[in-house]
Amino acid sequence: MMKTFLITVFTISTCTSTLIGCKKGSNFSQKNTVKNELRIGISQEFENLNPLIKTMAATSYIYSMIGRSLVSMGADGKWYPQLAKFIPNLQDGSAKIISHSGKKKIIARWEIIANAKWGDGTPITCDDFALALKVAESPTVSVGEKETYTQVEKIETDPQNPKKCTFTYAKAKWDFYTLGQFYPLPKHLEEAVFAKYGAEKEGYEKNSNYTTNPTLKGLYNGPYFISEVKLGDHVSLTPNPHFYGTPAKIAKIIIKLIPNTGTMEANLRSGTIDMISTLGLSLAEALILDRKVQAEDLPYIVTFTPSVTYEHIDLNLEHPILSDINVRKALLKGLDREGLVKALFEGKQEAALHGISPKDPWYTNDPNYISIHYYSKREAGKLLDAAGWKMSPEGYRFKDGKKLSLVFMTTAGNKTRELVQAFLQNQYKNLGIEIVPKNEPARVLFGETIRKRQFGAMAMFAWVSSPENNPRSTLHSASIPTEKNGWSGQNFMSWSNKENDALLDRLDIEMDAKKRLDLAHKITKLYTEEIPVLPLYYRSDLSVVPKSLKNYQPTGHQYYETNAVENWEL
Amino acid sequence: MLTYLLRRLLQGAILIVVLSYLCFYLMTLMPGDPVDMMISSNPKITAEDVERLRKLYGLDQPAYLRYSHWVKDILSGDLGYSRTYRVPVQELLAPRLLNTFILSITALCFSVLIAVPAGVFSALRPGSRFDHFINFISFAGISIPSFWLGIVCIILFAVWIPLFPAGGTLTIQDESTSFGFEVLDRLKYLVLPVLSLSLQQIGRFARYTRSAMQESLRHDYIRTATAKGLSQNRVVWVHGFRNALIPLITVLALSMSSIFSGAIITETVFAYQGVGKLTYDSINSNDYNVAMISFIISVTMVLMMNFLADILYGVADPRIRYV
Repeated sequence: MMKTFLITVFTISTCTSTLIGCKKGSNFSQKNTVKNELRIGISQEFENLNPLIKTMAATSYIYSMIGRSLVSMGADGKWYPQLAKFIPNLQDGSAKIISHSGKKKIIARWEIIANAKWGDGTPITCDDFALALKVAESPTVSVGEKETYTQVEKIETDPQNPKKCTFTYAKAKWDFYTLGQFYPLPKHLEEAVFAKYGAEKEGYEKNSNYTTNPTLKGLYNGPYFISEVKLGDHVSLTPNPHFYGTPAKIAKIIIKLIPNTGTMEANLRSGTIDMISTLGLSLAEALILDRKVQAEDLPYIVTFTPSVTYEHIDLNLEHPILSDINVRKALLKGLDREGLVKALFEGKQEAALHGISPKDPWYTNDPNYISIHYYSKREAGKLLDAAGWKMSPEGYRFKDGKKLSLVFMTTAGNKTRELVQAFLQNQYKNLGIEIVPKNEPARVLFGETIRKRQFGAMAMFAWVSSPENNPRSTLHSASIPTEKNGWSGQNFMSWSNKENDALLDRLDIEMDAKKRLDLAHKITKLYTEEIPVLPLYYRSDLSVVPKSLKNYQPTGHQYYETNAVENWEL
Repeated sequence: MLTYLLRRLLQGAILIVVLSYLCFYLMTLMPGDPVDMMISSNPKITAEDVERLRKLYGLDQPAYLRYSHWVKDILSGDLGYSRTYRVPVQELLAPRLLNTFILSITALCFSVLIAVPAGVFSALRPGSRFDHFINFISFAGISIPSFWLGIVCIILFAVWIPLFPAGGTLTIQDESTSFGFEVLDRLKYLVLPVLSLSLQQIGRFARYTRSAMQESLRHDYIRTATAKGLSQNRVVWVHGFRNALIPLITVLALSMSSIFSGAIITETVFAYQGVGKLTYDSINSNDYNVAMISFIISVTMVLMMNFLADILYGVADPRIRYV
């Protein structure tokens, strides 16, 4: 009797709490919409939000909501002014090439928009940019990519108007105006810190207000400022009333770190977060969630945005087998990229022809400009035959008694890459090529093996780039990592082509956009003819947003959608 | 006794110094330094940047020199600077250590409160239904992977029956709240991670308690105590349990030593802001200063808890003498 009673009570209470719970769960996001609050889940760690020393992608994602630069790149891949009134150019004379001690330089006139202010109401002036340059130049401050700042040699402020200034650039390069990562530092807050601690090793960054008092409103000039930050957990943002542009419409944004992507969906469904950022899910997880969203009619949209992230296989051109162009061509022709993206990614990622993505104005798929290698197992076989690799009865090719066997490395534990690796292993097996997978943890693979060009024959990884980016660091022969240059440079293939080097050198200094496009096409032609790399696919940026979120537009490149956060509306 | 204590303290200090150097040296042998990691993620870093940053971070110096600089900084009260998060280590570690301590100690206390009586009663009635049930729970707890258990807990109690939050440490809110509200809020976030952590510990402690009690109950003094007419409670708890304490103290001391080290899987699954994942990430990203401080804390806790266990052996069993 007692037992039956207890079971009944338990069943009733469980059912009741389930019903209450389901109601709660489904209403959670709506509650946040009513409160005009948006909770964004990210799976990548973020760091100190000092714009000069930040290196992590998640930090850039957050920083775009709280800080702005002179210019940025929109979702259409075009540059637009942010803090600047206009983008200087050579055509209207706002920028010009000068010759100084026989060296060509550029001077450009920048003007900051009149109502641009820091979060505490202090106007943003050219002195804030000059301070950023001064701090970045200091040998005691650990700015990662120093050239972002030091490409500007000198900033001279107009004595009549502190919002007008002249930038002198060290080199006459066409992309002088692409200062999307050149962030100002609030002089009224940071100059004193730098003066006091700048001489000490890492003294500025340890004592900067971004470290000691990160909620100080005057540190930020974006549509939001930080109301709370807990590294490794979350950042809370509230609208900045002094923002120069359209006032932010969402009353509160919380960016919450959820390191385990496997629990991201549970956090979304339980209402802990309202959306998953582009730094949240893996493709496999997004595909599964997309199916659930469709099947259960959940109030979310899963977005797949083609990005400039280029997944590829670097070929070691010093490898005795891969030094033969016919073998490299055979590897590319024997690789069914369209089949791969359909089989593994349900067509949500695009097969790559070369390193320039379709989002880039330099992209081309015109066979008049580049060599296109369509999948053909028969032609791949012929190429291998011509290279002397003959098929044996056991199903593998041999030459001079040596088996056609290639070591293929990628990051261990990356499920997508391991799947692609298995797919390719099977395709190449059909061609008579033995693929020997040898995977390593990311820090070993990138920290040692690839960097020192010890990856055997093939290494699969991705490059994150931006549109109209000179690929010098990955394709120029001067960028081949060696002991002499401290293993810097990313030409891991050891590709050395004098014509290509000359084109890459010219690309930076060619001021005519049409001629620059022509140079980019010529570089791409060499790239697709000599095949130092096997292109695989362009990754998609994935995010999950509530249906109620308006004006959300993922960009697919390093200037995140958060650059337009002020337009988001619930 | 005093000589023994001083000797153990001195041994501990020497061990910490030797192990810390060994750990530091092993970290320098790991492939890729912080600048290498930066190069791999940013194709725009130049050879000049590499040279400048290596010099700035002191990575161009031999390991023993870097270690001596690190020790000098520690002795002057500067725990260093995290290269990953770009903040001083103490700012990063202090709140996380507190969070991890709260999670670990709650899970440990909860586990002991359940496992010890369960183990004792199970040992008193071997082969009974209760004993089978406790054995089943123990083996299940030990065998179930904690990440799976964590995810199941989230699905059950945060998604299907939304009684508790899916992850986090505290509710994110701007308004300051009363102490009582904060305690309750923290408890709400602790339930699922504690449940997930405890189930494993309950299984382990219950098994140890059961076998130690069974062993203890077989001794002649238990028969003598029963023959003397002592109550069952006195026989079990004063004579039996006290003698079963030695192996339990060892297991508990070892568990206590990890209360500041964190439970990496549980912390990751529940997005709990603890020290476990931080330590793991700092080793992976070559964030020497964070990794070394975490390591020193771990080693010190292991040494301290072993030391404490040695003292408690004497309390539990007066026959043990310290020389």
